[in-house]
Amino acid sequence: MTAGVQGPREAGSARIRGAGWRQGALGLALVLPPLLVLAFLVALPAVTAVVETLTPAGGGGPTLANYARVLAARSLRADIVFTIVITLVSVAVVFALSYPLALYLRFSRGRAARVLGVLFMVPLFVPVVIASFAMITFLVNHGLVSTLLYRAGVLAFPRLVYNGTGIMLTQVWVNIPFAVLILGAGLQAIDDALIDGARDVGAGPLRTFLSIILPLNAVPTMIALTLLFIGVFGSFTIPYLVGGNAPAMLGVTMTNYLTQYLQRTEAVTLAVLAFLIAAVVGAVYVASVSRRERGAA
Amino acid sequence: MKRHSKVRALAPVLLALLVAVVLVPTSVPSGAGAAAPVTLNVYINGDTNILDLWSKSLLPAFSKRYPQYRANMVGLMHGNGGQGVLDKLIAAKRAGRTTDVDLWETEPSMVEQGIPEGLWVKLSDKLVANLSKVPAEKLAATGGYSAPYRGSSVVIGYNSQFVKTPPKTFDDLVAWIKANPGKFTYCDPNTGGSGQAFVAAAIYRFANPDKFAGSAYDPKEESAWEPAWKLLRDLQPAMYNNGFHPNGNVAVLQLLGQQNIYMAAVWSDMGLDFSKRGLVPKSVKFEQITPPLFGGDSTVTLPSFSAHLEGALTLLNWLLTPEAQEMVIADVSGYPGVDWKYMPASVRRQFADVAKPYSPLPNAKYLADIKRIWHDRVAAGQ
Amino acid sequence: MTGVLWPWAAAVFRRAVGAAALLALASFILGPLLTLLVWAFAGTWLFPNLLPEFSLRWWAFVLGNADVGKAIRMSLLSAPTATLISAVICIPAAYAFARLEFPARRALLLSFLSANAFPKIGLYVSIATLLYRLDLMDTFTGVVLIQLVNTLLFMIWIPTGTFRGINRNLEEAARDAGAGPLRTFFQITLPIALPGIMVAGLFAFIAAFDEAQGTLIVGTPNHMTMPVLMYNLVLSYPQPVGAVFSILLSLPSLVLLLFAQRYLRAGYLAAGYSL
Repeated sequence: MTAGVQGPREAGSARIRGAGWRQGALGLALVLPPLLVLAFLVALPAVTAVVETLTPAGGGGPTLANYARVLAARSLRADIVFTIVITLVSVAVVFALSYPLALYLRFSRGRAARVLGVLFMVPLFVPVVIASFAMITFLVNHGLVSTLLYRAGVLAFPRLVYNGTGIMLTQVWVNIPFAVLILGAGLQAIDDALIDGARDVGAGPLRTFLSIILPLNAVPTMIALTLLFIGVFGSFTIPYLVGGNAPAMLGVTMTNYLTQYLQRTEAVTLAVLAFLIAAVVGAVYVASVSRRERGAA
Repeated sequence: MKRHSKVRALAPVLLALLVAVVLVPTSVPSGAGAAAPVTLNVYINGDTNILDLWSKSLLPAFSKRYPQYRANMVGLMHGNGGQGVLDKLIAAKRAGRTTDVDLWETEPSMVEQGIPEGLWVKLSDKLVANLSKVPAEKLAATGGYSAPYRGSSVVIGYNSQFVKTPPKTFDDLVAWIKANPGKFTYCDPNTGGSGQAFVAAAIYRFANPDKFAGSAYDPKEESAWEPAWKLLRDLQPAMYNNGFHPNGNVAVLQLLGQQNIYMAAVWSDMGLDFSKRGLVPKSVKFEQITPPLFGGDSTVTLPSFSAHLEGALTLLNWLLTPEAQEMVIADVSGYPGVDWKYMPASVRRQFADVAKPYSPLPNAKYLADIKRIWHDRVAAGQ
Repeated sequence: MTGVLWPWAAAVFRRAVGAAALLALASFILGPLLTLLVWAFAGTWLFPNLLPEFSLRWWAFVLGNADVGKAIRMSLLSAPTATLISAVICIPAAYAFARLEFPARRALLLSFLSANAFPKIGLYVSIATLLYRLDLMDTFTGVVLIQLVNTLLFMIWIPTGTFRGINRNLEEAARDAGAGPLRTFFQITLPIALPGIMVAGLFAFIAAFDEAQGTLIVGTPNHMTMPVLMYNLVLSYPQPVGAVFSILLSLPSLVLLLFAQRYLRAGYLAAGYSL
């Protein structure tokens, strides 16, 4: 080969490299607009907030004093724990109700399935304030359910609203459509042939579910769990209207610290803590998805 | 082909949306031009009786008296909207802009937070002539940065059908609550002044109210509140629904009206108003106990960098005229902001019972701590 | 004998359990809404009556309220606009996330979680200062921007998953046949991805529509939306008022449900939605 003339292999790799550059640049250009919105309206204020909480009031170097103070307060720790517990319980219940529903819709035909298919979507179209108000009128003592039971002779009625139970029930009501949609979409992607194949070799429904469906539907499941957790964890309207006085979920506590107790730094510190907890959950999702993608590669 | 028909089905919807967005006017035309009336923006933080007072009585009468001004009222979100407006004002002042908030009726804590930022006009009777009718000590309370235009106090509302001998003192009230568990409540102090008043009454039972009413603030003084927290915590099991405190002044009145409870701490003007409208039965009566629950004046404050400062000053001046003050009394059964001596004799007679002196309001910083510590000690029981 | 009866009994039992579960779920979902419906037509409703005294007077009360009309119009204008803008800037980005390789792809995709993970309360003061400098306070644009932030997560993640689920062979076949990249996108990729994009648009719209705290700061006094008004009505007025307003509020959503029903049926979602 004479100098200046590239062999086929070099030319090929040069073409691939060139394609890589262009693709990378195009990709970045396309994602730029939403990223800019995110940067200006979320990242910049968020960073400002974090910096603010790390700076002590009297000046000086960065310090974790604000976080120490917040975590030392017993009622705030109680609120954090309460928020995590309610979120986990709500997500678990939503999941426990939505998965069977999604499975039922996937594998059943007939009128019942069609009715259910429309029914589960209903809460999606009800704004959250209305949903909270509706649940209260439904479940409060002397509301519809308790009146029905009273007329049927059941005099005692448990307290179902203005406490954690009320928050949990309302969160479940509001989030069922979202969970069913995402799980259902994942189930749709599972080929019928795989299910039939499992049945042909004699696997029962439970076995099929555990060995075939669950693993194949893992990614939508993780998405649903992650988004559900974050949504419930950071909510304000539902705990504000349906929750009790104390302990309160973090969204309400934060608002109180900012607007009622006039302690802005505590409020922003709580906000950053809430963000960290949500970020941990997001990280778990990323790790599991990466592991899955690497495994599949 | 099927794929194309899906896209085509969407097209009319998108087109309709586009048409709707373009054709329907998207913003309220601003009052430009010398001949057009100036629109003042009046922000009111209050319950619905106050919002109605402004939108149905005060502002229309003002526009009739001063046709060159029109007023647009903005009612603020229950319990939480004030911070949003304050943030907006601070941001505007720091960015060096004018604001469209011309007059704001809000809580003292909001006025308090705005003073160091230079947000408010310092009022005097040179700027607002009728300010001379307002008792001097009321103006001094906020350092001259806001003016009272109506007042009320928190009283005890009770259903005389079930309560034959209403309690006369605070200790009697506590005894009654313990003897009648589940029949009394007060709203969450974060959400309404009537709840704050009850908590303050517990504090005043053991400490001098004046120590917390002035402008001085020392967190160490709050150790005097300990006996109050103990008392309130002990009362929790006797409260309605085992210690649940509803969200707002109106919620408590509704409980009283539906006979879920027989007694409650309520605002005088709100209670009288509900009674007038038949929202609580006629058997519900109101009385002040000894020592009295707190009360105060609702004040309005004017941002110093408002776009229509002259109009705002005119509005404030008009608010203190007998014409406007009588609307306050007629519509919401409130006490006037000006001295009683400027009101007609019939009005002074009508209010002889309820318009007794009231205890002072704690200042904004103490109030913020009261709310917070109440939540920690009483609601959370820690 | 049992060998014959048992499967039959089991089948009946299973059917009964299924029916009971269906009934329970239906009551749970529809019950609260039904209660509201009854409250909307109640004059007064005292315990322990099963039904109230019926009356339409609260309808007159709500419909006569000028703020209600203004807020409804503002919500119905701002939320669709925010969703449309979100779709325009996010869908190409979603395609890039799904199909193209570029540095920090996964990290950038994940960063959209932050829009919904960071509690908005701490953010709104800073956002307000920024919008003031840009002279966007109390403007339609300001309200739309706030709502836009809430839609980003849905408009990026769900379409990304949708695009990723589309078989590359289809696109490559089109390219081999000579179609350019844009043509391939609009005629092959987009139609298949449409159901997933519709789902994303739906969630995005709802997120924009429900937004209350930021809109309060940015939208007053002339651009208030329905959720902001709703808090006030629900907490400060007698129950029927909240119920009436709830029905008024649900109407656009119901219309959307009927329209979207075609796209949300299980079969359509199959068209490429694995992430």
